[in-house]
Order: sequence, then structure tokens, then C-alpha cells
Amino acid sequence: MTKKVLLKYSAEKTKEPILASIIKETGTLLNILHAEFSAEGGEILLAIDAPDAEVNRIIKLFEQRGIETKELKRAIQLDEEKCFDCGACISLCPTGALRLTDDYSVELDEDKCIYCEICVPSCPVRALKISKF
Amino acid sequence: MNKSIAEINDRIRRGDAVVVTAEEIVEIVRERGEVEAAKEVDIVTTGTFGAMCSSGAWLNFGHADPPIKMQRVWLNDVEAYSGVAAVDAYIGATQLSETRDFEYGGGHVIEDLVRGKEIKVKAIAYGTDCYPRKELETIVTKDDLNQAVLCNPRSAYQRYVAATNSRDETIYTYMGTLLPNYGNVTYSGSGALSPLHNDPNYETIGVGTRIFLGGAQGYIFWEGTQHAPTKAMGTIMTIGNLKEMDARYIRGATIEGYGTSLYVGLGIPIPIINERVAKTTGISDEEIRADLTDYGVPRRERPILKEVTYAELKSGRVEVGGKEVPVSPLSSLKQAREIAGILKKWIEDKKFFLAQTVEGLSTDQVFKPIKQIAAAPVAKDLMTREVVTARPSDSITSAAKIFAKRNFDHLPIVDEKGKLVGIVTSWNIAVAVGTGKRKLSEILTSKVIVASENEPIDAIARKLETHRISGVPVVGTGGELRGILTSEDLSKLIGRRRK
Ligand code: SF4
Ligand code: SF4
Repeated sequence: MTKKVLLKYSAEKTKEPILASIIKETGTLLNILHAEFSAEGGEILLAIDAPDAEVNRIIKLFEQRGIETKELKRAIQLDEEKCFDCGACISLCPTGALRLTDDYSVELDEDKCIYCEICVPSCPVRALKISKF
Repeated sequence: MNKSIAEINDRIRRGDAVVVTAEEIVEIVRERGEVEAAKEVDIVTTGTFGAMCSSGAWLNFGHADPPIKMQRVWLNDVEAYSGVAAVDAYIGATQLSETRDFEYGGGHVIEDLVRGKEIKVKAIAYGTDCYPRKELETIVTKDDLNQAVLCNPRSAYQRYVAATNSRDETIYTYMGTLLPNYGNVTYSGSGALSPLHNDPNYETIGVGTRIFLGGAQGYIFWEGTQHAPTKAMGTIMTIGNLKEMDARYIRGATIEGYGTSLYVGLGIPIPIINERVAKTTGISDEEIRADLTDYGVPRRERPILKEVTYAELKSGRVEVGGKEVPVSPLSSLKQAREIAGILKKWIEDKKFFLAQTVEGLSTDQVFKPIKQIAAAPVAKDLMTREVVTARPSDSITSAAKIFAKRNFDHLPIVDEKGKLVGIVTSWNIAVAVGTGKRKLSEILTSKVIVASENEPIDAIARKLETHRISGVPVVGTGGELRGILTSEDLSKLIGRRRK
């Protein structure tokens, strides 16, 4: 399963090509779901699709280079019994994790979800739930 | 060529009526023309499944012993209207629960009734010689009620506007959640499947038309409220037996930050009685337009940004202000299609026959605004015009003196042309003391929530409430400071209104 890891950069670390060097070193594709930077530093949310041991190795590599990491242990569920495919959620989703298929069904791709939670209260029948553990 | 309803019903009975959905007829008319289509096809089925706030149900509870004349009645803590005979009540979809707020309302009560769930009933009364009882509490399901009749004053808008938001904040509307700076677009209605859009001249739709309503067979019994046929925004009043309905097509809903509603599944069969009707059923998503409207402006006449077609809307992206933005349908296109399909199957299975209308729907009714005897006040009617201001280059100490002398918390900062550039509060000053900062430009807040001169007071009151602020500077179109409006000014007005 895809794991999501949040990287926190301090201001000086943002100048180093850390992400690129780790991709090169491990040969694993690291997918950036979301990134935000300011004068004080920044955050990158990565999706890593690799076996657990490899994910742990990558996390270590970031930490060795002085990046704070945090694995996001959350899950989002779409209750298909409740969902009536109204689509109210899809234009709110910033990553395309929620989308409308060709037959107008709503589909959720959790791998793309960054748990921004904007979709949750906007569902008229409360079919979307995010759990933290 | 003309066909009568009786002839078409005969075909249904014989099992040789040709039924297609409103999506399927588009191709047929496009390829073979309406004359051939009218010969070949007998019925076109339509469907829509969306939030229809103007929905509700009439319920009759039967009499208690000793009897009660229900003055007020609550169903699962949602009040129903009981200003009719003793044990009749109307539960409206948007009435909110008194204990669960937006999470539960009349729409949810109606869904729970359809599902056969138990409903807690509480009633109070003043007591009369014939109805001595003053209180009643009980639990009922739909089977215990004498009648449970879905009765919607307004259903199935022919088409509707599409919504977006120019403000720099997210807003919560009956058109769903609208992201800042035209971040998304929402729309309602099923386009080519839209029941009324397939017969916009109401040649076959009228009082008495039998329809698919909430999974059962229901009827149109009048034009809907706000019926506006000349703007292609016709509506219908509908009625049907709630006890026979299916909760897949009757769903209570919460519209975030707005309230509760009821999603209703509705489909109308359009008998192809002549070529004209065949032609109108051939309408496609490309031909149905919606006004893309800015819900960021809380006025009756909201600005229209442009026209979009249902084909563009259904594609999932439209262009607004030079960028492509994602689109949400708010009504379920999947279920709309499903309903048109079910209606088709019912007819093919000889379970559904067409009803002859007894009266047409108005084709020239206009939808008027409410008659207001006083214009709603706007910012410039109430604001204080003499405002003490400072410049960004002024010292913090001079501002501290102003605050000490006058009794207010906000000091607007303007540039040499009088344009508002920021605001400083007494709190900012208190914090700045001892930090070594000297000029107001170092501590001012430049992101200021402002009001415009012609903004209605009610909209400003809502701004103060949502942002938890006690006042707003009022600016002209070029950003120049014109005055200031505080919650105190507003409460004076509201006090006057209450009197
Ligand atoms: S929380 Fe919802 S809106 Fe946000 S990314 Fe996940 S699916 Fe999309
Ligand atoms: S808003 Fe809720 S009901 Fe509508 S499509 Fe999304 S998950 Fe389904």
C-alpha cells in the first residue's frame, strides 16, 4: 500500500537538493502530493509506493539529512451505500482523489488523498469519513 | 402525424409501445429527423435526482383518546406545521431539528418515514371542550399513519443557474461549497434528461400527468411555485403516496452551512403525440444553457459572468476568468439516468400507463420579487463618515495617544490619496510597546475585511459574525476610505427594527 510521509524542511534545508538526491540514490519514485514553502521553511507530502522496508529506509535517509518526517496514518472512506453520486465533493478535491467516472459514478482514489478534509462536511449524506489512528 | 394518449396506452397494453430515454432520443432525432422519430417512438422517459428544498409531506396521525387538537407537533424534534385540522401536519424538508441542528431536519424525517423507521412524535395543545388533551408523546412508523403524502410545492426546475464565487473566502450556499476566487463551479439539473426541458411548451405535461416520484407513481397537480416558463425555468407541484416510495429516491440531506433539504427522484414520460414534441425531446446538452452566476454577491440580482452549456458543465471543467476550474453537479446524473431507465422499464412491463392531462401549465407566468415597502439599508446609510485615520509613516506613540483619547479599537491607515492600506488595533499597539518598532507600517494588518458603500447591512452583519470582528472600514470602488461601520451601529438599527 502507498504510504504517505510528511517532510518538514527548516529554512536553510530548503536550499539543498535533498529530495532529488534521495530519488537518485534509491531509484524509488517519490510522488509529491502537496508542497508548501515560505520564508520559514516548508512541507512536502510524499506518496511512496514501495515495500515497507524500502519506505523505512527512505524515511531514514531524509532524517539523516536533517529533515523532520512524519508518517501520516489516516484513512478516508467512501460509504458506497450512502453515496448517491451527486458529485458535490469532486470540485472541492484539490488532488483529483475524488472524481466522476464516465458513467457518472463518484470514485475515490485514496492514494491521491492529502486528507485536507474539505470534502467531508460538504457531502450532503455524510458518506465521506476520515479516521485518524 | 398525431397520436392520442389513448392510442399510446393501447400500444403499451399490447406490448408494442416504443420507449426510449431522453438521452437516446437525441441521436434518433439528430440522425433521422423529428418526422421519422415521431413515427417510430411513442414515449420518451426523463429523469432528475436533486435537492428539492420545496418539498414536504402531509401526515395524518389519527385521534388519541382523550383526543388532542395538535397546536404544535414535533417529529424526532423537527417541528411540523399543524395550523390545520386537529391531527394533520405538514413536515417541510428544510425545517431543522431543535436538538441536532443542521445534521437532521424535515428531509431526514421524510426519509426515515419511507424507510419504515420509528419516529418520535410530541404534540402540545391548549385544550378545548371537544379536544381536552394538552400533551401527547408517542412513537409511529408510516404504517401507523392514515395518510403520508409527499406534496411538493416546487419540483424539477427545467434548468437552473451554475454557481461560482468571486470572494476571497469559501462560501457555503444552497449551491454547495464554493471555493474562493472562482475556485470551482457547481450546477444542478440533469440537462438533456431534464423532465420539463423535453417538453418546454407543455404540450403533454400538465395537471394530472402521472410521473415517477420517489420510486412510486405520483402526479403533477399544478404549476410549481416560482414557475417561470418564459425564462425556461418552469416548475411543477407534485404529489404521491409516501408509503409506496423507495428511500433510494427520497433522501434527506445536509447542505453544509445552509441547512437541510430533500433529494427527490422524479421522472416524466413524454408521449410523442406529434413531430413538434419529438423535436423538443431531441434537445441535447449542447443546446441547454445555464447562466454562470457569482454567488459571492449576496444580492437578489447576482452578477452573471457568462453562459455555459450543460455539455460543458457535464464535461467536468469550465473556463472562468481565463482559468479552467473543476465542476460539481449537485444533482446525481447517475441516478437521473437510472430513473429514466426505470420509467422506461415500467412502461415496457405494462406497469405504468400515461394519464391524460386535465389542464395545461401556464406558459406566460412571470416570477416576481417580493413587494418590499422599505428598501433594505446599505453601508452608506449607517456608516460614520468622520473617521480618525493615520499614515503608515506615523509613529506608534502618536497612534497610542489617539487610542488613549478616543474610545475605539480600530485605526484605519490610509496613504496620501486616502486609499485604505491597513488597520491598526489597540491590541497591536499594546503588543508593539517595548519591541523597538517605531512606525505604524511595521505593525499594521494589511489584509483588512472591508465593506463597499452599497453593501446591504444584512450582508455586513453576517461578515462581522463569520469573521468575529467588531467593525469594518467602508471603501469606495477605488479602495478609498469612505467611513467605518461597527457592530454597535448595526445593533442600533436592529434595535430599531425590533421596536
Ligand atoms: S480529504 Fe477529500 S478533498 Fe481532501 S484530498 Fe482527500 S479526498 Fe480530496
Ligand atoms: S458528496 Fe457525498 S454523496 Fe455526493 S458524490 Fe461525494 S461522497 Fe457521494
